[in-house]
Amino acid sequence: MIEPISREFLVGCEPAHAFDVWTSRTTTWWPVSHTVSAEPGLEVAFEPRVGGRVFERTPAGEEHTWGEIVAWEPPSRLAYLWHIRRDRSDATDVEITFEPHDGGTLVRIVHTGWERLGDGAAWRERNVGGWDGVLPAYREACETARAS
Amino acid sequence: MADLAGAGDPFDALGDPNRRAIVELLRDGDRSVGDLARDLPISRPAVSRHLRLLKEAGLVTDRAEGTRRLYRLHDEGVEAVRSYVEQVWGDAAARFRIAAENTAPTERRG
Repeated sequence: MIEPISREFLVGCEPAHAFDVWTSRTTTWWPVSHTVSAEPGLEVAFEPRVGGRVFERTPAGEEHTWGEIVAWEPPSRLAYLWHIRRDRSDATDVEITFEPHDGGTLVRIVHTGWERLGDGAAWRERNVGGWDGVLPAYREACETARAS
Repeated sequence: MADLAGAGDPFDALGDPNRRAIVELLRDGDRSVGDLARDLPISRPAVSRHLRLLKEAGLVTDRAEGTRRLYRLHDEGVEAVRSYVEQVWGDAAARFRIAAENTAPTERRG
């Protein structure tokens, strides 16, 4: 198993606000360099329900789906499949919890499912040269960003 | 951020057509700088510069073979992607905290 990415940190606001900033004000904080188009003025949106999409919308109205919501439990828990710049079959799992802590909120991010991308030999076997699954998406994204 | 020190961004690294061409060439097997330069419209020093950036981004590794240095695509593609995403989360978490702490909660209706 490939080690999950996990982070936790305290935020000086209530869980409900933290959940709200995460899901409905994403545009204000998500690093634009980590989007598909990297276009100035793009929006990041969560459709607030299980089965809803996480996506980016450029000012021209072009949309790129990043994932799909699998748990929507405001104000305490949120989980989504994450496949930004990849095929949906290569999705990994993101879970965020918001827990009251000393008048603030303890935010915990756990990003798992890396083995779904294949590991070691399996990854290399499935993707000739080890990179076929990754590079086209990177390349396409980079080119989109340059062309704009 | 301290944990990002020295780490190149694979996304930026691939934002250059020559670096993408290098990666394409390395897919077919390990190559030396001179070998790569023959197939590219750029000089050897330019190829070396691009390789250094690709290496910093974790996309390419190198090894000495006799007097030559051979470059190859990083074997552990998944691990490279994972560590890239780890950087993304670090960056996103810091920005999220600032946004959450400096905005007022919206009034909820109903």
